[in-house]
Amino acid sequence: MAQNVKLRRRFRIREKKLNRSMAGNALLFGLMIVCGIFMVLPLVMVVNNALKPIDEIFQFPPRIFVRNPTLSNFSDLFVLMNDTWVPFSRYILNTAIITLGGMLGHVIIASLAAYPLAKHEFPGKNILFYMVVLSMMFSWTVTQIPQYVIISWLGINNTYAALVLPAWSFGMGLYLMKQFMEQLPDSLIESARIAGASEWRIFWSIIMPNVKPAWLTLAIFQFQQMWGNTGSLFLRNEELKPLQFSLLQITAGGVARAGVAAAVTFIIAAVPITFFLICQSSIMETMTTSGMKE
Amino acid sequence: MKKFRLTMSRKRMITGILFISPWLVGFLYFYVRTLFMTGQFSLSEITIASTGGYRLSFAGLENFIYAFRADPHFKQVLTTSLFDMVVDVPLIIFFSLFVAILLNRKFKGRAFVRAIFFLPIILNADAITEALTMQLQMMTGGLSPMSEEVASAASSSTVNVGYYLSLFENLAVPEFVLDYIVGAVSRISDIITASGVQIIIFIAALQSIPPSLYEVSRIEGATGYETFWKITFPMVMPHIITNVVYTVVDAFARSPVVDLAYDTAFTDYNYGLSSVFSLVSTLLVGLLLIIVVRAIQKRTFYYD
Repeated sequence: MAQNVKLRRRFRIREKKLNRSMAGNALLFGLMIVCGIFMVLPLVMVVNNALKPIDEIFQFPPRIFVRNPTLSNFSDLFVLMNDTWVPFSRYILNTAIITLGGMLGHVIIASLAAYPLAKHEFPGKNILFYMVVLSMMFSWTVTQIPQYVIISWLGINNTYAALVLPAWSFGMGLYLMKQFMEQLPDSLIESARIAGASEWRIFWSIIMPNVKPAWLTLAIFQFQQMWGNTGSLFLRNEELKPLQFSLLQITAGGVARAGVAAAVTFIIAAVPITFFLICQSSIMETMTTSGMKE
Repeated sequence: MKKFRLTMSRKRMITGILFISPWLVGFLYFYVRTLFMTGQFSLSEITIASTGGYRLSFAGLENFIYAFRADPHFKQVLTTSLFDMVVDVPLIIFFSLFVAILLNRKFKGRAFVRAIFFLPIILNADAITEALTMQLQMMTGGLSPMSEEVASAASSSTVNVGYYLSLFENLAVPEFVLDYIVGAVSRISDIITASGVQIIIFIAALQSIPPSLYEVSRIEGATGYETFWKITFPMVMPHIITNVVYTVVDAFARSPVVDLAYDTAFTDYNYGLSSVFSLVSTLLVGLLLIIVVRAIQKRTFYYD
């Protein structure tokens, strides 16, 4: 027992020598902290403003940190929500359908398509791949008119499908998943095939668990895309519009709604951040479970 | 025997098509058609019909000729956009790889630190930017014009940048290197905000490196430096390509050329010309991208 401790101590000393020096570490983390502070500042402002009573929001000279935190902005928001024309829960439902539908569909469909592209040979593979890259570059802002024409030609204008279906077949997810699947060793798939697994089975129980970091990353990415979508181009019925749209309307209320707008901003920012934290913590768990051995 | 193998491969092909088809159908409908329609628009003159909808009349290469011969902005804006991209992309890649490696280590609260680097992407949503600008206006009131003066005064008084530039030039440092460095320093905040997604892609890449490789290298007595160059870097290499592609796509979506195309379409209502702008710039960037990706791919190590 005592020897074990001694050994461990010796090992730790050796390990320390192998790594970077303390001063180097301090410098690096100092750099990271400076970068981090700049990025966190807007969020700090959002949180503080959401907690400020109305007189502090307009205080001059402005202060970043709140003096007398209250939740009155949030209670005002709830009062306001009760007065909306369409019940507020409907907006939440719309957002849930659009965001989750777009995200889950995209992750599954893109992964399914990426598997043959990454691990099988077939004619036209390269052309298809270049098309994908090209399509990603075709910016959404510029192609609004063709998109609109296509959506109305398909007759899905003014439905959820107008937002969800194009999101499913976006090129980014296919690209990301393909890059990650390509890295899996062929022998892993080979051995599953020898053991008699069907392609469907290989995909779900070999490929997908091994690229878990990739599809969680894609989920974060896609969630962010869909969450930020106001859908103003395609959705005209008030009952179909997402949360973001109604919140933007509250924000547009100007000075009179300043406090409520601050609370709204907090909510819009908080949901994707929470989602990010959940996904990131499960990315870390995969490290121990993925048992790739060569 | 031969016949049996043929059916087998055919069977596999059908499975492959089944895997790919849900995505492919959507892709053909929503994206390939968009590309095709933009090409069609760029070759024609578009008039809005009085009955609603639009009418196309074939105009040949007129729009292209106008864009390159007569349009006062297009060529200039296109060159600037491409140049900016060439400057930014390598910097974003290096920065995000560096940050991802730091964030991949074990320390307390690293999920939160990762979230911090992803914040610019989250705060980039329309609703939030709008609300933030409004809050800033409310907080600072009429301060914004003054703050600009303060900033310019501060930059001119503290460090004389011109002196250092001429000093380095006299030391025979090539001018384009200096330009690059100055450009890089002045863009630091842009680069940090643009690298959120790249960082999480790199983190995912680092997470998919089998830990056994590190274990072996430690047993063999490799230093941290060696471990990085012999294990981490080759294993992450394919995702350098992924990130180059993502960065170029992202940078292009924000570039002035896209703004120009947007303004031409929705302010000047010249949709044919706007299609030419987006088509030409997309193809150019696509070409650039394919060359770069090919170049990196040659040096890439695939684990199989």
